[in-house]
Order: sequence, then C-alpha cells, then structure tokens
Amino acid sequence: MGFFRDEEHLYRCLGGLFEKVRRDPAIGPKLAAAGLVIRFLYEEPDGQITIDVKNPPDSSDTFFTTFYGKSDLEPDVLMTMKADIGHRFWLGKINLVAALTRRQIVAKGPIPKILKLLPAIQPTYAMYPEILKELGEDKILL
Amino acid sequence: MEFPDFFQFHLPTRIVFGKGLSADFSAELAELKVTRAFLVTEKFLHTLGIPERVMTALQAAGVAVAGCFDEVVPNSEVALCERGAELARKAGADCVVAVGGGSSIDTAKAIALLLSEGGRLLDYQGAQTLTRPLKPMVAIPTTAGTGSEVTMVAVINDPESESKISLVDRFLTPALAVLDPELTLTLPKRITAATGMDALTHAVEAYVDIESSPFSDALAAQAIRLVSKLLLAAVTEGGDVEVRSGMQIASTLAGVAFNHSMVGVVHGMAHALGGMCHVVHGEANAMMLPFGMEYNLDARERKFAEVARFMGIDTRGLSERDAALAGIDHVRQLNQKLHELAGLPTALSQVGVPRDKLASVAGLAMTDGSMFYNPREVVEDEVLGMLERAH
Ligand SMILES: [Fe+2]
Repeated sequence: MGFFRDEEHLYRCLGGLFEKVRRDPAIGPKLAAAGLVIRFLYEEPDGQITIDVKNPPDSSDTFFTTFYGKSDLEPDVLMTMKADIGHRFWLGKINLVAALTRRQIVAKGPIPKILKLLPAIQPTYAMYPEILKELGEDKILL
Repeated sequence: MEFPDFFQFHLPTRIVFGKGLSADFSAELAELKVTRAFLVTEKFLHTLGIPERVMTALQAAGVAVAGCFDEVVPNSEVALCERGAELARKAGADCVVAVGGGSSIDTAKAIALLLSEGGRLLDYQGAQTLTRPLKPMVAIPTTAGTGSEVTMVAVINDPESESKISLVDRFLTPALAVLDPELTLTLPKRITAATGMDALTHAVEAYVDIESSPFSDALAAQAIRLVSKLLLAAVTEGGDVEVRSGMQIASTLAGVAFNHSMVGVVHGMAHALGGMCHVVHGEANAMMLPFGMEYNLDARERKFAEVARFMGIDTRGLSERDAALAGIDHVRQLNQKLHELAGLPTALSQVGVPRDKLASVAGLAMTDGSMFYNPREVVEDEVLGMLERAH
C-alpha cells in the first residue's frame, strides 16, 4: 500500500502544498518566471496535477494557477511518476537527476528549464511536512 | 574518500577498435542481424572515399545499402533529421550507420529514433522518454573528440525556437561503435587540435562535475593522460597511426565518462558561443577550458590537482592548490602551442565574436543543461566575466 489511499487523498496532500506555494511571495514569483505549463501525471493511485505558470493567475493573491484532475491545457513539460515517488520528491528525499536516470521519473519537454527550477523549490521540502501535519496526515511522513 | 549516494554505469555500446576496421566489421554486423543500412554522413567525406569504404564493407557483409544521406552539416537542424528519417523509412532501412563527426552521429540518432517510433522530433524532447530499443545504430567516427559514438545524447538545432533541443535517452546510444584510427589520418591540423581539445574538455568536466562516479573518474583520468601525451603529436605527425589510435581511444573513453557524469560550465559557454556566434565547438571549449577550471577551482581543489598529475605534471612538493593551478597553466600552454602549430584561436575576438554580443551569449549559456552539473553554482555575471577575459 502506498502513501495515498486514492486520487482524492493525493490531491489533498500534494494540493495542500501547491496551494500554499502558489501564494508564497518568495517561491511563487520564481516559479512564475519559468513560463511553463507543467503537468504531473501520477500512477498508483492515478491522478494529475497541472501547474500553469505561463498564463496569468486565476486570482490576484496567487502567482500561478493549479488544476487537479484532467485539464485541457497543453503541457510544456510532462512529468510521469508513481504517486509515492511524487510524495517523496516533495519531502526532498528524491534526487531528481538520479530519478531521471533510473526512469523513476520520466520527463518530457525542455529538461534544462526544469532543472533550473530546482533551487527555487528547495524551500518547499521543509514546507510539505508542516502542511501534512496541519492536515493531520502525519502518518504518511517518512 | 567520498562516494556518491547513487550512481549508475551502463554501456550498451559494443566498442570495437582496429586499424582499418571500417573496411571490415562483418563479424559485428552479423550479430546485429540487420539487412538494410541507411548511411548518415557528410558530403566532403566522399572526397576521402570514407562513406564508400563503409558501404563496401556493409555489402561485403551481406547488408544492403538502403540509402546514403550525405547532407549533414555542423549543428544539424530538426527539419534535416525529419527529412533523413523519411528517406530511411521509404528505403525500408532496418539500421542506421553514422559515418562522420559529432553532428553526423547526433543526426543519425535522431533519424533512428524517428525511423523506429515515428512522429515529430520535438515530441521526444526530454529524458528517458523512450520505452523500448530503437532500430540499431552503428557509429563510425571520423574525428577524435565528440564521443557521441558512445553517448545517449543528441543535440539538434531548432531554428523555430532559436534553441538547441536535447534528446537524452539510453535507447539513443549506438549499438556498435567502430573505432578506426585510419579514418582520422588525414584530418587537418586545426580540426585535430579542436576535436582533441573537445575530448580533453569532456574528460576534465566529467572528472569534476556533480554526477561523477568512481567509474566515470577512471575513464576520464585515462582520457586526460592520453590527450595530454598525444595531442601535439597528432597535430605535428598526423600520419602516425599509433598517435591517431591513442587520440581515438581517448575520445571514446572521455565520451563514456561524460555520458555518465555530464559536462559543465565550459560546455555551457561553448554551446552558447556555437549557437549565437558559430564558434566551432572544440575551439570554444579550448578557449574557455582554463577559465572554467579556475571558476571551479575552489569547489574541486583536490580533483584539479589530480588532473594536473594525469597531465604528466610533476606536482611533488606543491600544495594541492598550486598543483591544480599548474594544471590550468598547462592547458593555457597547450592552447598556445596548438595556436602556433595548428592555428587554433586563443581569443574569442579572433573568431569574429563581437564584444557587444557577449552579454547575450552569457544569457543563453545560463539556459544550457550542462550548467546544472557544474560543481559550483553558475552565476551569469561570472560567466560574462569569463567570456570577456577570453575575448
Ligand atoms: Fe563537447
């Protein structure tokens, strides 16, 4: 059994993080500068989260827009992985370069642009466990 | 001793070496079980009879030549690759044979990909997006420097987005690399010098960057030793097949090394100089290498001291830092000698790079994937500083 029970559980946890990040004045603008539509395609449980840092945000208190579930947006970057890998990635437990080498994460699109975002998302690794605690999801912490 | 948390070493390419081997590699071809080969090469190689030599070898081994696509230019573009793939498909090819320098081999990779999987090249941009082997590819390098015959990377120009697209996939690695030093005997001095410096840069960057491992280190070290010992001789005694052999081997060793640990800031700058100002890849690397080594010195002092020893410098009695500095100085002297012997440029101004373009070159360099693997974080201002000093 993986970390997430089902699609809804996946969105609750990872979504908790993304909703915070898109309002974060330190990280939000840095991601927005990349100008990409990034889709995370998860397996086991199946689900998808699309992050649109290309078009203007959907509300004035955010730096970009997020979509949970199917979306018609055409992604510039598509990252496919098991949901457990996604969870461990946002906890800072996955080395992206190694994961790409091992095909734990398959990235389609301009890789250099993705690698460039890594320094910007560094602070999220500390945010995610805090958010899980707030949500009462401590048991899926590593 | 410090070992990486994770590393992988995987070499899907069968490497065969031999003087004159490009005229007969039937034993290796038989194992590939292919019947119709599509050649990817460069027009001027016809004057040396090199594609013809390979076609004769293929036919003698019972492999029909389905086509010979000789339109490869330096930095091939997407449209050229797609046209080549269309021709290969119409010809019913079941394998792709690259004969030429780095651009021919990269183009052949793109053609093999499209021939096997169809679609447009841009669909495959990314890392490890393929899920099954492609139609087999044979790489026969005619220069000693690119290393592309053993790498999983193809870099193709995309004029539409004004950038280079990179395809990185283990299945893009050629199945067979035929190393025949005879093919490099007539290589002009300046190309010998530039491609040799490309090989040295691959080895040095692979040795110090963040993804290096004990396996890539061993190969990079031997490549540095061979290039340091043989490059000047390859320029002055180009007809010496032993010297050419050593350079060919060094180039492939460095290729395997950087296929695992990637390259760094020097290649990041060289790619941008190539893209914006058409500076020859090996020449850009040669000019930028000492600056890149200085830039990374603090982050990798011990490793640069080792590089100096691989170069044959007697570092006894020197501190690690002084040894490392002696290595950097050695590269500058090597460049100077190659300038005198082969006309290798020693400053960006000599190859028509306008000073007022350096800022945009630095900007483009920052978007290059190589920068990510550099041992020290790359800062745009400092990249510009290096380019200005190299001007
Ligand atoms: Fe190179």
